[in-house]
Amino acid sequence: MSDAEFVHAYDVAGADFTNAGRASTGIKETLKHMGLPSPLIRRVAIAAYEAEMNMVMYARRGAMTLRVTPADVVIVARDEGPGIPDIGLAMREGYSTATPEMRELGFGAGMGLPNIKRNTDDLAISSEVGRGTTLVMTVHVS
Amino acid sequence: MSDIRGAGVREQAGGQSLAAVRAAVNGVALWCPDDAPEVTGVVAADLMSDVLVDARPGHVLVTGLVNVQVIRTAAIADLAAVVFARGKAVPADVVDLARQMKVPVFASDESLFEAAGRLYALFGPGPAEPGARRQV
Repeated sequence: MSDAEFVHAYDVAGADFTNAGRASTGIKETLKHMGLPSPLIRRVAIAAYEAEMNMVMYARRGAMTLRVTPADVVIVARDEGPGIPDIGLAMREGYSTATPEMRELGFGAGMGLPNIKRNTDDLAISSEVGRGTTLVMTVHVS
Repeated sequence: MSDIRGAGVREQAGGQSLAAVRAAVNGVALWCPDDAPEVTGVVAADLMSDVLVDARPGHVLVTGLVNVQVIRTAAIADLAAVVFARGKAVPADVVDLARQMKVPVFASDESLFEAAGRLYALFGPGPAEPGARRQV
């Protein structure tokens, strides 16, 4: 690990809707303190928030690890949850398995993963049904 | 707009003050600092998923949804303020979080349609290109 690398992990609790978004807010504040450009911070924050809401809605628990280098901001969102049986289907705008309770919160419109892809330069998804899902979200600094 | 799923979005180059937005919707300030920034446009939606796709920095969000996720969404997306329409009671925890996250919040008795319409009159038509607002 180089001196220029910053790493911090944020825990996310499944079904904790009161605190949903706190990890992403923490990530955003950290990037602000680092002095990164606002448009870049906004893209990272939106991607992180979408991933965090997915974890809160679907997973038992999860964590997001923020890694910042001079070249990239990378967030790894790893959860213990139901997994995604068909990632291609989940990437389609409008496809959703959200419950009415999730929709009452204003989420579950089937836009989460597509919006993460839109706000990142690279998105890698790996998932095992019954075990969990890992997203690796990368935004280039320059 | 051709995409009926999308949140309604309007914006103009010059921007408006939060005072003008509040007056347009007959709003009551639940929390608003004196040095609030200018509003660059409007997004009207109840689905925060849509707000995260359609809103731009500096937009004011008009919504009929009242919960803490509205505030968190506004803060994450760099929105200028939130107008809670339809005369819904806004719980103290929502206002407390707005203050903590520095998101100005207003309550309006107008319907979502009426509030959005008045802001449309204030801001004028936005970009008409279908899908343009979806670009990051």
